[in-house]
Amino acid sequence: AGALAAPQNLSVHSTNLKHLLRWSPVVVPGGTVSYSVEYQGEYESLYASHIWIPSSRCSPAVGPECDVTDDITANVQYNLRVRATLGSQTSAWSTLEHPFHRNSTILTPPGLDVTKDGFHLVIELEDLGPQFEFLVFYWRRESGAKEQVKTVRRGGIPVHLETMEPGAPYCVKAQTFAKAIGRHSAFSQADCVEVQGEALPLAL
Amino acid sequence: MKNVLQWNPPEGLQEAEVTYTVQYFIYGQKKWLNKSECRNIKRTYCDLSAETSDYEHQYYAKVKAVWGTNCSKWAETGRFYPFLETRIGPPEVVLTTDVKSISIVLTAPEKWRRNPEDSPVFIQQIYSNLKYNVTVYNTKSNRTWSQCVTNHTLVLTWLEPNTLYCVHVESFVPGPSRRAQPSEKQCVRTLKDQASEFKVK
Amino acid sequence: GLRRCLISMDMHHIEQSFQGIKRAVQAKDTFQNVTILSKSETLQSIKPLDVCCVTKNLLTFYMDRVFKDHQEPNPQILRKISSIANSFLYMQKTLQQCQEQRRCHCRQEAINVTTVIHDNYDQLEVRSAAVKSLGELDVFLAWIDKNHQETSA
Repeated sequence: AGALAAPQNLSVHSTNLKHLLRWSPVVVPGGTVSYSVEYQGEYESLYASHIWIPSSRCSPAVGPECDVTDDITANVQYNLRVRATLGSQTSAWSTLEHPFHRNSTILTPPGLDVTKDGFHLVIELEDLGPQFEFLVFYWRRESGAKEQVKTVRRGGIPVHLETMEPGAPYCVKAQTFAKAIGRHSAFSQADCVEVQGEALPLAL
Repeated sequence: MKNVLQWNPPEGLQEAEVTYTVQYFIYGQKKWLNKSECRNIKRTYCDLSAETSDYEHQYYAKVKAVWGTNCSKWAETGRFYPFLETRIGPPEVVLTTDVKSISIVLTAPEKWRRNPEDSPVFIQQIYSNLKYNVTVYNTKSNRTWSQCVTNHTLVLTWLEPNTLYCVHVESFVPGPSRRAQPSEKQCVRTLKDQASEFKVK
Repeated sequence: GLRRCLISMDMHHIEQSFQGIKRAVQAKDTFQNVTILSKSETLQSIKPLDVCCVTKNLLTFYMDRVFKDHQEPNPQILRKISSIANSFLYMQKTLQQCQEQRRCHCRQEAINVTTVIHDNYDQLEVRSAAVKSLGELDVFLAWIDKNHQETSA
């Protein structure tokens, strides 16, 4: 290891199963420092003599951040390490203090757009990618109304939820379900729409 | 599960009198087998559906070209696994309309049959978790929405009278990503509402 | 009876990881006349009662033997194999809990299937056996997908 300082303050910031490894930059006046990131899953620790695998996106990385989402792909503990490089000089490795498990990711309520097409209640949910489904709860806002629930497999496309009857608003709220880790987000804000009553035809 | 081997003519011989011969191999078996209907053929495809009808096996195929006295090396496919790699065809879709509703009746796509007299095997018998994605387009409001269903009948109610709606349906099987092919778009017009006609007069 | 022991997890990513290595790994497998998992009578004949035990045994087979015996120089393929191996480790932990709750019983039929697979593996030189088993992961994954759905009784 050269005189180059090793990166410090490693931390992982994970939201909706997108994982960013961050560290404090190594500053060398007049020099451009790059970084290499490696990871090691529990399998490598237990079965493969602790080998380290170069990160898919950050070998090398230019800034003090690395998207390790494509590396952290199982529900096991992962060790992560970074080192700096400046020309021919290479720093020691800095390893994340505690192994990272993607179960700790923060799940945010999904973006939800509630609209109608005539008497049809239509929603569109934020597209978060194939790892997510959505649990959608909807109800007719009147006394005694029962809450219905539907699983929506994909965001980004308008989905028919219910055929509405005039006379009361229909309300909808949703939460994301991260299939890979079996966890839900909090609910989105509820949103309501109402169909106007159709004038009854004249009695003959 | 209609499995057709396709290839391009050799470089520079697109217009020449080239013939082709095909063989196939069942992974784990002992030797390459001839496909008699594809010996010395001029076309650049060969239907191997019968030979690959056991979709839980895996297969290889290869083809060689003969041009005059010249004979090419064999060109071989990768390992083909019908159960995972077949494309799921669309269901048959029948629409009937009323004043404010459209009834949609779906018939599951069928597995390829060796003989038309063979009794049909529906894809649902192979993929028990087959589902359908029904997409509806309201030409008047210019709105599109979709619905995921598992059963074979769906009635869209409370539609707008005398309005053209277009529908297409795609089969899909949750799990390993399999390519799917949506049905042709079909458009039907809901009937006129006689009552409102009377009101307007 | 006790609820069946099913792996409820998102197989999508594992299948994608395999698709990323399928061509390369299967191309290295030059013994097309030999299979390790793929014989119809091996996996397809397993009864629901034996699914848990066979799954656990095959996960162990891959983790203890196949992934270890395969030396992968290409980092992209290595990453995909690591992704699959770590997912198998998680699945094995899940089944381990089932075993502790006595819901993953190993009958002789399940043990026989595992033995056949290990014997097939031992027939080949170890590197060839490992690359062939890697190339047959799609068979194992499709079998898991089919047998670990809630509806598959």
